[in-house]
Formats: sequence, structure tokens, C-alpha cells
Amino acid sequence: MSITPMAGVPASELRAVVRDHGGGNARVRALDGVSMAFPVGSWTAVMGPSGSGKSTLLHCAAGLDRVDGGQVYLAGQDITWAPDHVLTGLRRRTMGFVFQSFNLIGSLTAEQNVALPLKLAGLRVSRADVRAVLASVGLGDRLRHRPRELSGGQQQRVAIARAMVTRPAVLFADEPTGALDSASARTVLALLRRMVDQDGQTVAMVTHDPAAAAHADAVVFLSDGRLVDRLDRPTARDVAERLALLEAAPC
Amino acid sequence: MLTVSLHTFREHRRLFAGAVTAVALGVALVQASLLVMISADRAPLPPGLTGRAREELREDYAGAATVLGMTLMLATFLTIFIVSSTFAFTVAQRRRELALLRLLGGGRAGLVALLLGEALLLGTVGTAIGIIVGIPAMWLQALLMIRLGFLPDGFSPGWDAGVLFVSPCIGIGVSLVGVLAAARRAAKVRPLDAMRDVGAAARVMTPARWLSGVSCLALTIWMVTLAQSADLLGALLLGIGICIMGSVALSALSPLVVPLTGRALGLLLRRTTLGELAQAELRDGVRRSASTAAPLIVLVALLVGLTGTLGSLALMAGEEQRRLVNGHLVVTSTGADAERIASVPGVAVASTELSVEISVRARHHRQGRSSGRTHYGGIIAVDATAYRRTHHLQPHAGSLRRLHGRTIAVGPGLAAEGIRVGSTATAAIDGRKVRVKVVAALAPTLENYSERFLIPRDLIPPDARAAAPARTVVRTAPGVAPSTVASALRKAGIGEVETVAQWADGRAAAQQRMNIGILAVLMGMAGGYAAVAVVNAVVIAGSERRTEFAAARVAGLTRGQVVRAALIESWAVTAIGLALGCTVAAGALSGMLAASLRAVDRPLVAVPWTLLAAITLASFAVTSLASVWTTRAATKPTPITQLGARE
Repeated sequence: MSITPMAGVPASELRAVVRDHGGGNARVRALDGVSMAFPVGSWTAVMGPSGSGKSTLLHCAAGLDRVDGGQVYLAGQDITWAPDHVLTGLRRRTMGFVFQSFNLIGSLTAEQNVALPLKLAGLRVSRADVRAVLASVGLGDRLRHRPRELSGGQQQRVAIARAMVTRPAVLFADEPTGALDSASARTVLALLRRMVDQDGQTVAMVTHDPAAAAHADAVVFLSDGRLVDRLDRPTARDVAERLALLEAAPC
Repeated sequence: MLTVSLHTFREHRRLFAGAVTAVALGVALVQASLLVMISADRAPLPPGLTGRAREELREDYAGAATVLGMTLMLATFLTIFIVSSTFAFTVAQRRRELALLRLLGGGRAGLVALLLGEALLLGTVGTAIGIIVGIPAMWLQALLMIRLGFLPDGFSPGWDAGVLFVSPCIGIGVSLVGVLAAARRAAKVRPLDAMRDVGAAARVMTPARWLSGVSCLALTIWMVTLAQSADLLGALLLGIGICIMGSVALSALSPLVVPLTGRALGLLLRRTTLGELAQAELRDGVRRSASTAAPLIVLVALLVGLTGTLGSLALMAGEEQRRLVNGHLVVTSTGADAERIASVPGVAVASTELSVEISVRARHHRQGRSSGRTHYGGIIAVDATAYRRTHHLQPHAGSLRRLHGRTIAVGPGLAAEGIRVGSTATAAIDGRKVRVKVVAALAPTLENYSERFLIPRDLIPPDARAAAPARTVVRTAPGVAPSTVASALRKAGIGEVETVAQWADGRAAAQQRMNIGILAVLMGMAGGYAAVAVVNAVVIAGSERRTEFAAARVAGLTRGQVVRAALIESWAVTAIGLALGCTVAAGALSGMLAASLRAVDRPLVAVPWTLLAAITLASFAVTSLASVWTTRAATKPTPITQLGARE
């Protein structure tokens, strides 16, 4: 079941989301009433000090983690209590994921890795499509390479191609440049920027890196599980300053 | 999905090689036992044999079929146990990869299909190898049985095309069933686990595991309590049941037991840094430890438990014989020499039992059916009066007093065959048919091959009596030391003289030799299979720990230290497996202890210490070698390449 977001409806939205980790004395409120939206066709970066809850926010938005309060919407559909088969269906067609540790399947070639989500969704795999997606990330000549034969930046681009092959409504990226050198990181970020600008792709990205966040259309700042600030059209310097302020804030 | 299956094969070579080995050896073992059993069942009796030889041969084959039936049962149990534990382990080792598939949109059903597809592939490959390996295994099994005297010399097992159907059913069936539970569990993997280094949902004690573990444990405890009040045969059967159920229970619950024992061992290990690391790994890698310990538990429980149970039974049979015989000495001689015993000074009573070459045809009544059968072996001729004075045997029907003239008594060996007292049997003595009346039936004894018929010695012609092998129980006159009489008997050149105790011990030892033969057949190849499973688990565990080992080396450990820490860990797991196996075996033997206390008022339990020591040494040797080899192989590349290669 593929969902095309309607005009004006955010690709992904959280409403007053609460998420606790642990139980008893060890209970930590990772998200404390967070409300925010990832608008269609734009790139939103989520930043914050370590432990601010940014990864949890991404997990909750993608339906990977259950929330303890509030609602989660994906392309206008309430997925807060969606059963597993609905979430599985959404992961197949509506969401894409990119990780810090590329998470490619080591035994499969780049081409096979990219084709995998289509196969899992039971769709006919067109080799031409797969090749086109790989070519669009600049890896048209690396089809038959296995992950271990590729550099970190190339692996991450394969991972992006894999996430994009199903044309998802929203791409969730968790520290996509965290394991990359600066040149590779720039290539990957430019690739994401192009996808947003040319294809109107929605991107939700968690990052530590102000330079990475500066590529986004907007940056939201989390601290202790709350949304504390927001920057539109950010520059790396602005982001770094805000982040430094947050990290220096007394606990 | 199958293409993904095929591709992941290459990535997890060792993991899958382990699974294929488990299936192949299991199929080979089951197929070998099955083929030898079929061949023994169909073996033709050569023409021109005497009745006695025919009976012996037929009994050989029947005995072999019983032993092979038990072997088959045990082999099937081990195959199911080892294959399912190996498959569960291979699935558990790939948790992260499976979570990633879920994250990419793989549904639960798809994941189950993927794992079943893999199991089908592995099962098919394993079965194909197993069918081929099963042929030499069949020859080995037959050779073993011939060597141990269960099958006649000329026996040769044959091929039966039926196994081409049975073996795939077992191999593929067991693989699919074995992986099903693991697959269903793996399907519950949360996609989120792919984003984390350590799956938070890596719960080892699943509800299903709790259920099977606790119910098997309850069943085991119930059987142990039942065994306390069972008769000997009951205790023996329960002992086998306890060994099997107990192994399953403790294997299922070992994730609970292993860390607990690890904590106890920790007091010992914590003195050194490496020991501390090993203890932490033991606690952390619960599933790994449990998978290695499981085949060890089964191996020790079955070997020690069964050997001990059968050995105790032999001890008790010997004790029973000692008590049944009311005399001082036992003389083994010819019938002619036995005639002279009564005249030796100091002999008060001499009761001679002659093993005579006659046949008896009698009607059996069992389970509402009656049939005539001819018996050749186990027929002794006695003087009823002397026999009664030297034996405490009580007939459970009729009376030995009436055993004179044309009569016969049913011995303990046929007590359960339903030959009625008062019926008429036909004895063929020297080619002459004599109709004899059944006047008594003796109660059964613990011995396997005891006398079947007692007939009055007067019925046997004197020359046949003189030639027959004889065993004479001697009671000495009051005030005369048995040793004096023994030397007098020896001086007179009458056969071989033993005290009753020596004779009974000899019989127990002979029974025990027979038992060891049975166990060698039962456990010989099965034991090897379990040993392979232990190595398998160590190798699988080691080869999937490259990153962990690399991290330890980056933290400052040398390669040698990593190898040593893993070695200490494997020692601890081995010790735990052995201890748990011994616990199960002790449960099985406790039934024998209670039964012996009730039957003979003495604790008679044969704990096979030598076997236990041998198993302990062998287990440590095997797990140590496997651990060192896999850890060295896993730490060969430099640690940094291992840590970087995180796809």
C-alpha cells in the first residue's frame, strides 16, 4: 500500500510525542511532548547534544519505536498504533532508511543490494531502473562490486540508492555522514540536496555535524527531549553557535 | 527470497557448513541403523542348520534388531536435538542481518520463508551428503555389531531403496522443523535492532523456551520420583527416559543455568584479567554458551546415565544370583566329573545342573493368543530335591516337589511367556519324543539369559548326562570350612571351583561386558555425532566473533591473550556442560539406587567413573582444540581491518 502525501500534509509529523526509556528508577524521558512536522519536498535536520533524544525522534517518526504518548503521522496516516503488517508495508513503499554504518548486506553486490527492497516488496525488478538509480548516485560503474570492495562514501551512496529505489515519500537518515571523510561526506550531502531540489524528495536527517546540517532547508534543535529552537536556511556557523549554546547550557 | 538465501550462504560459510554437517551426520547415522536393521530382519537362515543353531541365529538377529531399534530411536532423538539446536544457533547469530531485512520492508512471513528456504537448501545438501556417508557408516555399524557378537560373522548389510525416501524425509523434515521455532522467533526481531549495535530484543529465554524447559524438567522430576518406587525394569526404562528428557530440559534452561554457574566459577576466574574477561563473555554470550553446552549435556547424560543404569542392573543381577543360591561353592565341570562331587569329604549337598542338548515344544499363552514354540537352549536337568535345598527360588505356580518322572518346570527365563502349569509339553530327547507335564513355573529373575526349562535328570540317558557341561552348587557339611572342601575338590581334579560370591561376580561381569557391547553399538557413532556437534558449536561461535575479538585487541589485548581468554571461556562452558550432564545422569541413577535398596537392601549403583573421566578429558581436549583453532583463525587479520569492515 503506497501512500502519496496530499498537498499541504507533512510527509511525517509528530504530535505531542512522549517516549520513555527504561523503567522504575532508571526511567529516562527521551522525548517530552515533541510536536513537529517534516514538510513535503524539504530537508529537515534534527540536531542536539548527545542524549537529547534526536535518534529516538527519528525512530518514533519512522514507526520503528513505539511512543508512550501523542500521535505519529506518516503521509497523513496515523501510524501510532499501526499493526506490524501495516508498518512493514509502509517500510516497503513509503519510507527509506540510511544509516551511519551503511548496513549493506555484505554478500550481495551493489546492484543486488539496491534491488533487495523491491524483491522484498514482491515487485518486478527492472534492471534498468536499478542501474539508473545507481547511476544517479554516481556508481554506474560499480554495479558488481561487493560492499567490502567499495570505499565508505561509495557504500553510503549504494545505501542511498537502495533507500531511493522504492521512491519513498520520506527518507530517514541517521548520521549519514558520521562514518565518512569530509570529501565523501560532501558528495553524499550534495547527492541528498540534489534529490530534494530536483525530485522534491522529503528528507529527515539526524546529525551531529553542523556542516551537514547546513545543507538542510531547516534545522530543529532538541535538548533533554524537548524542541528548543529552529533555524531556517541555516549556515554552518549559525548551527555551530546554537549547538554550542545548548551544550553549554546548565543542566 | 531464495536468491538472498543463496547469497547469504557464501557470507556465513562456517555457520552453514556447521548446519550441513549436523544434518548429514544425523541422516547418515539414522540411515545406517535403519539399513542394518532391515538387513538383519531379512537375513536368510542358511539351509541345513540344526534346530539349535537356527534358534541361536534367530535369537541373535532378534537381539540385534532390539539393539538396533534402540540405536535408531537414539539416533533420531540426537538428530532432532542437534539439528534444531544448531539451526536455532545459526539464526540467532544473524539477528542484525535479519533486522535489517525487516527494516528494508521484509515482512514477518517473508523472513520465515527466507529461513525455511535456507533450511530446505541446507537440509537437502545435508541429506545428499548424509545418504552417501550413510553407506560407509552402515558397514561400520555392521562391523561393530559383528565384532561385539550381536550379529553372526557372515552378515553383510544391504542397500534398500526405501532409504532414498526415508532419509530425505528425516534430513529435510528435521531441518525444517528445527528451524521453524527459531524462524518464528527471528520474525519477531524488531527492525529497530538493525540500527543498534546490540539488539535490545536479544532475549534468550523466550516463552516457548521457558515452556519446553520447565515442562521437560517437571516431567524429568516426575520420572525421578516415579523411579524411586519402580521395579528394576521400570527403573531402567525410566532411567533412559530421564536421560533424554533431562537433557532436553537442562539444555532449554541452560541460558539460566550457565550464567549462574558462571558466577560461581567467576570467584575462581576473577583473579586474573583474562579470567575476568572470560567470565564476562560467558555471562554476555548466554546463547553461545548454551549452544555449546547443549550437546555436551546430552552426550554426558546419555553415556554416563545409560552405562551407570545398565551397570547397576548387572550388579543387582549378580547380587540376586548370590542370594538365590543357598550354598558355599560353585563347581563347573563335565557331567561325569560332577557325579563324583557328592562323594568328596565335607560336601553336604551337591546340586548339579546339566545343560542338556534337548528340545522342548510348549504352548505359549500371551495376550489372548496361544502358539506352540520349540526351545533348544537354556534347558537344564536337575535333581529336584538337591536343587530345592541349594536354591531359594520360589515357583510362582505349582511346586518343584512334583518335578520327577515325566514332568518339566518352566525356568525364570520363560517366566513371562505364559506357559501354563498343568499343560503338556513335548521334549525331544535323543531323537525320542517324550510327553511331559508342566508342574511348576519359577519366578523371573533380573538376569537376561537365565534357564528356560528344568527337567528331572532321570529323563536324560546316562551317557548324555556324562557328556553335558555341568554346574554344581555345593553346600559344605556343618563345621567344615568351604576352603577345605574347595581344595579337596581341586585335588580330586573336578572342574573349576569358585565360591558363590566369585561365581556371582563373574556372572555380573559377563553381563556388564554384554552391556558395554550394547552401549558401544548404541552410543558409539551417536557419541561421535554429539562430539562433532560440540565442535560445531565452538566453531560457529568463534567464527562469528571476529569484530568482538578485534575490539578486544584494539583495547590492548595481544592476539595470544584473546586466544587464551576464549580458551578459558570454552573451558568454563565445557565444565558447565559436563556438570549439567552429570546432574541428569545422577537423576537417572537415583532410581536405580532406590530400586536396589528395595530389592536387595543395599545401595548398588555402578557409577562409571572411568568413563566419566575419559569423557571429561576428551571433552576438554576437543573444545580446547576447537576454541584455539577458531580463535586463531578469527584473529588472523589485523584488528583494524575487522573493525572497519562493518557493512
